[in-house]
Amino acid sequence: MTAAATAPEAVRDQARASSPKPRTRRRPTLFHVFMIVAVVVWLLPIGWMVVLAVSDNHLLQLKTQTLIPQGFTLDNIVTELRGSRIPRWFLNSVVVTGVTTLGTVVTSAMAGYAFGRLKFRFQTPLFVLTLAGLMVPREAMFIPLYLMFSETGQLNSYQGLFLPRIALPLGVFIMTQFFRAVPHEMEEAARIDGAGHARIFLSIMLPLARPAMAALAIFAFVQSWNDYLWPLVVATNPHFFTLTVGLAQQQGSFDAANSLGSLMARGLIGSLPLVIVFLLFQRQLIRGIALGSGEK
Amino acid sequence: MAEHTASRGRTARGDGAAALVFLSPFLVLAVVFILYPVGQALYMSFFDFDLLTQTATNFGLQNYREMFGGSDLTWSATSMLTWRIPLLLLAGAVVVRGTRRPGAKRTLTVVAVLLLLVVALGVHPGAHGSWNDQRFWAALQHTIEFTVISTPLLMALGLGLAILVNRPGRLSTVYRTAFFLPYVLPVSVVTLIWIYLLNPDRGLAVKLTDALGIPPIDYLNSPSFALPAVILTTIWWTVGFNLVLFLAGLQDIDPHLYEAAALDGASRWASFVNITVPGLRRVSMLVLVTQVVASFQVFGQVYIMTRGGPGDSSLVLIQNVYQTGIRDAKLGYASAQSIVLLALILVVSLVELRFLREDADS
Repeated sequence: MTAAATAPEAVRDQARASSPKPRTRRRPTLFHVFMIVAVVVWLLPIGWMVVLAVSDNHLLQLKTQTLIPQGFTLDNIVTELRGSRIPRWFLNSVVVTGVTTLGTVVTSAMAGYAFGRLKFRFQTPLFVLTLAGLMVPREAMFIPLYLMFSETGQLNSYQGLFLPRIALPLGVFIMTQFFRAVPHEMEEAARIDGAGHARIFLSIMLPLARPAMAALAIFAFVQSWNDYLWPLVVATNPHFFTLTVGLAQQQGSFDAANSLGSLMARGLIGSLPLVIVFLLFQRQLIRGIALGSGEK
Repeated sequence: MAEHTASRGRTARGDGAAALVFLSPFLVLAVVFILYPVGQALYMSFFDFDLLTQTATNFGLQNYREMFGGSDLTWSATSMLTWRIPLLLLAGAVVVRGTRRPGAKRTLTVVAVLLLLVVALGVHPGAHGSWNDQRFWAALQHTIEFTVISTPLLMALGLGLAILVNRPGRLSTVYRTAFFLPYVLPVSVVTLIWIYLLNPDRGLAVKLTDALGIPPIDYLNSPSFALPAVILTTIWWTVGFNLVLFLAGLQDIDPHLYEAAALDGASRWASFVNITVPGLRRVSMLVLVTQVVASFQVFGQVYIMTRGGPGDSSLVLIQNVYQTGIRDAKLGYASAQSIVLLALILVVSLVELRFLREDADS
C-alpha cells in the first residue's frame, strides 16, 4: 500500500499520452493505416446497428447484410421515442443512476475523509472490513436483498433500485487513497484559525478532491446505467424497468424479426446517453478506471 | 496503514465523534446492503426457504448435499482427463518455477492444492448413479470454462492494444477511444447487436464466413458454439477496460529504461521482455484478479443471448442462482449456491492477492 499514496499524482496525466517512448517511428503511415482498418472493423457492429436503425422495416425483411441504410428513414427512432415505453425507462434510468451516483460520491468522499484524515478507534479493522467488501460478489448476493425488499413491499420502487447500489467499497477506497495523499500543510492554517472538521472537509478537502470525485462519479454512472441483474430482479412491473432491462426484455420476442429497424433504433436510443457522456468525459472516466485499479 | 499506527498515540482521543459522523452514511448502507445480505445468505443456505408458501424449514446441510452429492459415486484415474491433465501440467510448471526461485512454502501449498484438485476430479457417478444436481455442475463447468478461455484472451488483447495506442499524438487518443467505446454500451445493446450479427440468415457474420467458404452456422443455437459466441461478444465488449488498465501501467514505466536499452542496442523484443513485462507485473496481476472475479459473476450476456442453452450448454452459475431463486422460488437452495460462489471468489482472489503481494515484495 506504499505506492498508493501517490496515486492521484501518478494518474493525473495518464489520460493524455504523456512521456512518449523513444520509439523509432520508421513507417508511421503504414502503422496508421493498419490501426484505422482495425478501428473500423472494431466499430463495425455499432455502425451496423446505426444503419439498421435508420432503415425501413419492410425493406429490412429482404436485406440486412449491408452497411448501406435500406430506404433511409428516421421513423423508427421517432416512433420509439413517441409511442413506446422507452421514454419512461429512460427516465427511470436517469433517476436511479442519478441518485446512485450522487449517493456513491457523497458517502465515499465522507468515509474517505474519515479513513484518510482522521484518527479514531477501530480505524484499521473498519478499513480492512471495507476492503473485504470489495471481494463480495454483488451479482451473487441478490437473493437476500430480494427477500429484504419483497418482505417490506418495496419491489418495483425507485428506492429498491438504487438503495443497495450506493455503498461502494471501491469508492471509499479511492477517496481514502486520495485524501491520504493531501499534504498536512493544506489544512494546518485552517485548523489554527479554529476551523472544525466540517469546515475543513467542505472548504478545503472537497474542492481539492474534485478530479477524483469526477472520476468516481463517471465510473459509478457507467456501472449503474448498465446494471442488469439487480434491476431485473427488483422490478417486475414494466413501469419500473430501467432502460437496460427494458431493452433486453424485448429481444426474445419473435415479432422482433419483422421490426429489426425498430429494435435497432431502441438499441441506438439506449446507447446514446452513455456514448455522449463518455465522449464528453472520457478523460475522467479513464482516470477513474486507472484510479480504481491503482492499488488493492 | 503503518502511518496510522505510528501517529495514533498522539491523536487517538480527538476525532472519534467526527469520524462517526463522516463514516455513518457509508457504514449504515454497507452493513444493511452488503454485510447483512452475506450473513443472511449464509443463514438461509441451511434452510428450505420457500418464497411461495413463506415457510422456512431447517434443512441443515441438505442444500449443500443436494448441490455436491450424488448417488453411486466412484473414483477412477481416467475421469475428466481433459481437465486433470492441464492441472497436472500446471502443478509441474509450478514445481519447475519453484526450484529456480526461493519461496518453497508457497510452491508446496500451490502444488498440494493442485494435486488435491486433480484427485478430487476423479470422483464421478458410477454406472447406475448420477449427481443430485446436474445443472449445478454444468453451470460450474461453464463458468470455469468461460473464465479460463476469456481471461487470457482479454489480457493478451488488452495488452496488445495498449502497446499499440501508447504513443503520443491525437490519433492514438482516437484509437483508444474507439477500442474503449463498446465498454460503455449497456449489456442489452451489446447482445442486441451480436444476436443479429451472428444470426445465420440475416447477420453480417454469415456473410463473412460465406466469403471464406464456410457454411452458415447457427452459433447461438449450437451446443458447441453458444459459449464461444458469448465469449467473443464479451471480449469485444470489455477489452477496452483492460486496455486502459494496461495503458496506465505502461505509462508508469520509466521511459529512461527504454532509452538506456536502446543505447545498449537492445531489440524491441528484448526491451519488451526485459522492461515492459516486469514493469507490468503489478497491473497484470490486478487485471487478472478483476477479470476472474468479474468472469465468475458473468450473467447478462449469457442470459440474454442463449438463456443458458441450447440444453444447458451455456448455463452459468449466476443464471442458475437466478432461476433457482426467482423462477423456482427455492431461496434456500439458491442462497447455498450464492455462498459457494462467494467462497470460490474469496479463495481465488485471496490466492491471487497473495501472489500479487509476494511478487511485489520480491
